Amino acid sequence: MHSYAWMAWVTTVMVVALTTTNPLYLVLVLLGVILVGVVAPKDGIGTAGLKAMATFGVIMLLLAVLVATINGTYGSHVLFTIPGPRFPEWLGGLRLGGPVTLESFAAAIIRALAAFSVFLAFAVFSAAVSVQKLVREAPAAVFHLGLVITIGLSLLPASIEDLRRIREMQALRGAPTRFRQVPGLVVPAVIGGLERSMRLAEAMEARGVASQETQPTRQMRLAALIPAPLILAGMWLWFYAVEWRILAGVMFAMAVASLVLWGRLAKQQGRRTRLRDEPLPMLDRLLAIGSLSVAISVFVARQMGAFGLNYNPFADLPVPGFTPIGAALMVCCAWPAFVILLLPTTAPEPARTVAEEVEPAWR
Amino acid sequence: MAVTFSDVTYSFPRQERPAIADASAEISAGAFTLLAGPSAGGKSTFLRLCNGLAPQFHGGKLSGSASVMGREPSRVPARDMARVAGLVFQEPEAQGIADTVDDEIAFGMEQQGIPRAEMRARLERLLAQLGLEHLRERRLSTLSGGERQRVAIAAVLALEPPILLLDEPTSQLDPEAAIEVIAAVEQLQRERSLTVLVAEHRLERLLPVADQVLEIAGGMVRQLTPGEAAATLLNAPPVSRLCRALGIQPVPLDVAGGLAAIEATPGLRTRIRVLQPETPAPGDELLAVAGMTVSYDDKRVLSNANLTVRQGEIIALTGANGSGKTTLMRAICGLISSAAGDVRFRQAPAPEGTAARTNFAAMVPQDPAIALYRDTVADELRESLRLRKLPATSTDVRRVLDRWRIVELADRHPRDLSVGQQQRVAIAAMLAHEPPTWLLDEPTRGADLATKTWLAERFREHAATGGAVVVSTHDMESAAQYATRAVGLVAGEMAFDLPARQAFGACGPRPTQVARLVPGALTPFEVTLT
Repeated sequence: MHSYAWMAWVTTVMVVALTTTNPLYLVLVLLGVILVGVVAPKDGIGTAGLKAMATFGVIMLLLAVLVATINGTYGSHVLFTIPGPRFPEWLGGLRLGGPVTLESFAAAIIRALAAFSVFLAFAVFSAAVSVQKLVREAPAAVFHLGLVITIGLSLLPASIEDLRRIREMQALRGAPTRFRQVPGLVVPAVIGGLERSMRLAEAMEARGVASQETQPTRQMRLAALIPAPLILAGMWLWFYAVEWRILAGVMFAMAVASLVLWGRLAKQQGRRTRLRDEPLPMLDRLLAIGSLSVAISVFVARQMGAFGLNYNPFADLPVPGFTPIGAALMVCCAWPAFVILLLPTTAPEPARTVAEEVEPAWR
Repeated sequence: MAVTFSDVTYSFPRQERPAIADASAEISAGAFTLLAGPSAGGKSTFLRLCNGLAPQFHGGKLSGSASVMGREPSRVPARDMARVAGLVFQEPEAQGIADTVDDEIAFGMEQQGIPRAEMRARLERLLAQLGLEHLRERRLSTLSGGERQRVAIAAVLALEPPILLLDEPTSQLDPEAAIEVIAAVEQLQRERSLTVLVAEHRLERLLPVADQVLEIAGGMVRQLTPGEAAATLLNAPPVSRLCRALGIQPVPLDVAGGLAAIEATPGLRTRIRVLQPETPAPGDELLAVAGMTVSYDDKRVLSNANLTVRQGEIIALTGANGSGKTTLMRAICGLISSAAGDVRFRQAPAPEGTAARTNFAAMVPQDPAIALYRDTVADELRESLRLRKLPATSTDVRRVLDRWRIVELADRHPRDLSVGQQQRVAIAAMLAHEPPTWLLDEPTRGADLATKTWLAERFREHAATGGAVVVSTHDMESAAQYATRAVGLVAGEMAFDLPARQAFGACGPRPTQVARLVPGALTPFEVTLT
């Protein structure tokens, strides 16, 4: 599958997971991401740490649920009460302990499910797409962004790999392999991961990544500057001036158009070549467009209150809504898995040798 | 001149002491230059100054003037300097960007906007020159260490830089792979008139092919001829050190030169005496492995390995990368749950669990310094004692510091130490509880002479007090100085198990330079004149 299609998928999962608050739908999204993770190719930098990252995500999910549940004191379905003082209002009214409610527990689960889905989707993405492909797609004008992407994508897997090695060394040193030993090892693991990521970034710079970079033109600067104010203004109109939502939509479209223009200008400026063409197949193109359409549909449906995407546990813990269309939209987040399982011809073809490639006659 | 440094001083950010101080050097075009010197002496920094990564990527302060092929590397963007001076890093796995060999070689060319036809021509040429044609579509992850390093060299040379910089290119490789890489570089230098700068600790393979040597220690740079280097450097090849001791002038650089020099000196051969150190008879059995077999994903990496370790023994475990050395040690320590076979400590079945096993047979893995996380060296050792439930008072910590000869480092932060010092502290931390058997996985990898000497002394002390040491290593010249026995692994199977004197001798499977020159001796320290 082309890296553009993977980028569309991870964007879709992020939008869908962060838009819906319905736990049933979020479970569907998470299951979809897990399915993709199981069948996706393991070509990228995050492959080595995929399992560890999933474990790390589960631990963070459980911790987040625990902390959020204890901190939330709203709701009428009290599970138990944690004894603790409450500071006076003039000291901020902070409360330590207090009643732990089923509502706060449900809200914590919803937030954690969404965050875990996004985290896992990025883990699968970094395992499925190679750094080289991402850097190739990044315009030369955003060379530093390319380096940041590299460091960002490689940091967590590298840190988790280092955490595994350090835990093993601690075991060799006689330390018990208990979970409570882990927090003390996180700092050296992150430092180790960062050092490895920096070595990769250094190697990229030493190999001449984006050496064709030149100063951005005035047009490029304008095209890069315009989207931010347009998006901010559009969001304000969308949320606070409902009658102007059409104008907000136009602003969003203009922002996207400006970004596309900037991308084109940046591409023209950086003269990079390729050993072999990697065209975006029509199927991948359609799937990417379809994927982004799902993201937009879910976003719009949430704003319109359709398909039971919105769920508020504090309204006396209602039963979450469930509609076939809503569920179908969530299942769409697993589309790469269906493509890989059902259409084996779209699996990456083995690289052709240079000698096999024939120059077109017109070239 | 290809490279000219004039009074160059460079300091990394937040470092008071310069990494390179007042360096002046001239390297002519087409020369093969060897950078020698201790760890953290400034060799890698010198290479990074040549291609602009220092200070452009690392930051820091630079003064003086440097010129590389007529360009000032600190002013030309480092990514453009890639076309002038290509740098190959120490760890092949840390620099791979693409998935397959041909994509990896083409990556830099794509970034430089080189036309496709030209790219293909260069790719074909490099694949042929470096003997990589059969690997063109292979995934990088499936290559051996030597193959990956050759791909890394090809990837850098694809931009056709007139200068090739290699930062310890063979330190991670077994002897055969190292020879492959050096032969490839030598051939390229001849065919393309490349200017080559290689930083390396082990000089025996490179000094004979070098045109000049830069000794870099404590940031100071000294320019030497290969003959001067052989005559003065502490870590000169063993054959050079031997000939120095025998009073041969000029000092030869390789075994052939050494043999010729000895034969050409009348009466010298008859005056040579070999002082074979006495090897004490091994004592009681400490550790025994029987029928150890380990498989990963249906691939057998260790097959029916048997090993007995006795008191007083220092065993060199040798073999190519991937031959099963690390796997054997991990299996002994209980880190591989699927390992089949028996492990016995003092003739009793080994206990279950890594913590219990390492009380008796402790393993020091590669790069142990990454496990250091306390604020001071003393705290690290205290932590090690505490984890073993041993007394951890200041006196106890002091005793460990004394035993490992690292007292002066007690209050330093482990991350502020040099690579060699970190290595010493990490080894001391892993073995602070004084287990009878030590298992060390390539502890001399990338280590300088001082660290190797320090390690050899600790091994001998431990063996003399009734302990035993098993060291996996690619460095036969060092191993010959301390080992009493050598075990060879080939593709997961035990190929030989011989006394060190036989294994490293002239007719053994791993002969040292000195053994080939003076039969019966293994190291320069065993030879004297009557």
